[in-house]
Amino acid sequence: MTLFHFFNCAALTFGPHFVYYTATPLSEYDALRTCWKAALVYLGTTLVKLVCLATFLQVSENDNFDVSQESLKAVINLLDVLGLYIALTQLTYRNISQNHKFQAVGLCWAFSDSLLHRLAPLWVGARGLEFTWDYLLQGLESNANLVFTISFTALGSLMWLRKSKPKFIVPLIYIAAAVLITMPSIINYLRQGLSWDFSKVVAFELLASLCLALLTWQLFIACQRPIGQ
Amino acid sequence: MLENISELEQLLIHKTLPYPVYFAFENKKILSLLREVEENDAAGKHATAVTGGYKLVVPVSEPKKLATVSLSNLQAWLPGLRGDGDASQLPTIAVVASYDTFGVAPALSEGSDSNGSGVVALLELVRLFSRLYANPKTQGRYNILFGLTSGGPFNYNGTSKWLKGFDQRVRESIDYAICLNSIGTRSNNLLMHVSKPPDSIYIKQLYDVFKDVGSQIGLEVTLKHKKINISNSRVSWEHEQFSRHRVTAVTLSKIEHAPDLLEHSGGIADKREKVDPSAVAQVVKLTAESLASYIFGHQGSPIEVFADGSSLAVSHSYIGSWLELLSRTPRVAAFMSKSDPLIEAFRKELSEHTPEVSIHNEPFDSSFVFYNVPKAELSIYQVASVGLDLIILVAVSAYLFILFVVLVISTKSLDDLVVMFRRPPTKKFKGA
Repeated sequence: MTLFHFFNCAALTFGPHFVYYTATPLSEYDALRTCWKAALVYLGTTLVKLVCLATFLQVSENDNFDVSQESLKAVINLLDVLGLYIALTQLTYRNISQNHKFQAVGLCWAFSDSLLHRLAPLWVGARGLEFTWDYLLQGLESNANLVFTISFTALGSLMWLRKSKPKFIVPLIYIAAAVLITMPSIINYLRQGLSWDFSKVVAFELLASLCLALLTWQLFIACQRPIGQ
Repeated sequence: MLENISELEQLLIHKTLPYPVYFAFENKKILSLLREVEENDAAGKHATAVTGGYKLVVPVSEPKKLATVSLSNLQAWLPGLRGDGDASQLPTIAVVASYDTFGVAPALSEGSDSNGSGVVALLELVRLFSRLYANPKTQGRYNILFGLTSGGPFNYNGTSKWLKGFDQRVRESIDYAICLNSIGTRSNNLLMHVSKPPDSIYIKQLYDVFKDVGSQIGLEVTLKHKKINISNSRVSWEHEQFSRHRVTAVTLSKIEHAPDLLEHSGGIADKREKVDPSAVAQVVKLTAESLASYIFGHQGSPIEVFADGSSLAVSHSYIGSWLELLSRTPRVAAFMSKSDPLIEAFRKELSEHTPEVSIHNEPFDSSFVFYNVPKAELSIYQVASVGLDLIILVAVSAYLFILFVVLVISTKSLDDLVVMFRRPPTKKFKGA
């Protein structure tokens, strides 16, 4: 019976990625190769991040929000940005348009992230007898993460792949990107510094992801209009 | 509170229950769990989808009968001064205490008073008399035999076997056997239980010595007589086993009435708080001085062999530390193997003070049958019903379906949703 719960939570955590893939035109473009490449870049980035974290970070005994540690973590998170940059710009893809590239990269990046971070706890924890809401909340978090990642790759493609952008939009793009980059630190602060409940943090993440997605969408449209499609 | 537990224990011990009863220590988690269950019960709430369902799991295999139970009796022999030409066997005095316990939860039966206090008193007597006998000038002309017996709660089965194994001459040389049982509670009244009639010379002699010494140290010694019923297999006091083997014996105890089967057998309510180390020390002093008075033939006149402040003073710290150890160690005979660390500790302690120590292992043949699971780990899970899982399944499926529909509509078009299976021609990406 609790395997049932595991399947429920797994569906909530990983389902949206598959749905996204099949529902949008991505599936027509056979973007699997793009996905594999993005996943590999993600793996590489994560390994480098882990090594840096292990070397530079100190383990703190208490749960307080330590500004210096968090800023160090934020700097290391910039490696993520670097990874996405590499995935978006450096790798060559065939047969895929600009607009779909960022979606594919974002999707696969978020999927690998969810897989690596959430599959193990799910397998070990959700099959037990004890019932907690944690795994469902984790699933929702994975959804929010998907939206965050796709928004960020959209902005990334705007920043790095598009040469001509309306002048007044540019600062907005950069601001939105900055918010997305610091999002992990913000979430950490909420969880540790303000001691928010997990459910509250997840609600915040969902809300923030929707707002940012909306904003990114508008920015994208705004950038598209002058070029006209 | 301990009396309530003691009563509950007596109730449970004599009942046959169709289900296992577990004892656990109280802590915050269990208390909050209990409170929640009580509230739900009072409000008449059934276990709802999420709250109120608790599953208790004890991962224990089916208990098996213990095939062989062995009782280990320890004995230590302190020889008396054998003068030249003294060919006959010296007379002997025996001091005995049973060390094992039994309670409704064997892993929690530490038996501090019954009979931890007796064991501790015996060990202190061993130490004192070995010091006294170390110098030939102060060595008495009596051998002293110390015995730590097992099988106490089970009609003193071990004591009987131990006596049967004695050489007849040794058994006949025993003048008296003094059994110590539950002497640790704070009380000025000590009882000497006898099975021989009180007006027998032997009993009178012994009782007078004890009474005299007792009055000197503020302990009142009362004689209590209980006849042995040979047809009844119940043995309430250890001295009855000696009497059945024709050795004069008494039991010193602060318990007034002869205990029933498995009563005062050192159960879960018999904790360290019940025992006062100074009470134990007082009884040790009484016994030691009385024995010295008898051995050296100074009945009637006040002597202080084990005077406070002397090198033979009763050591409160020795008593205290052994009491602490015994109060932490459950001692049910069925779960103590021949090589149990406590038995080894006893043997080591006795060998330090006496030249001859031996352990006798006897099989336990009795109508008692033991099963092998004294301890288990309890896990309490808060579980949700199947209904909740189904609801979640429906919710997640609905969410994924809606997501699918939204994405198809927004990225392709409504028509495409209708004809999902036909691959639509590639459309340029539309922002809206």
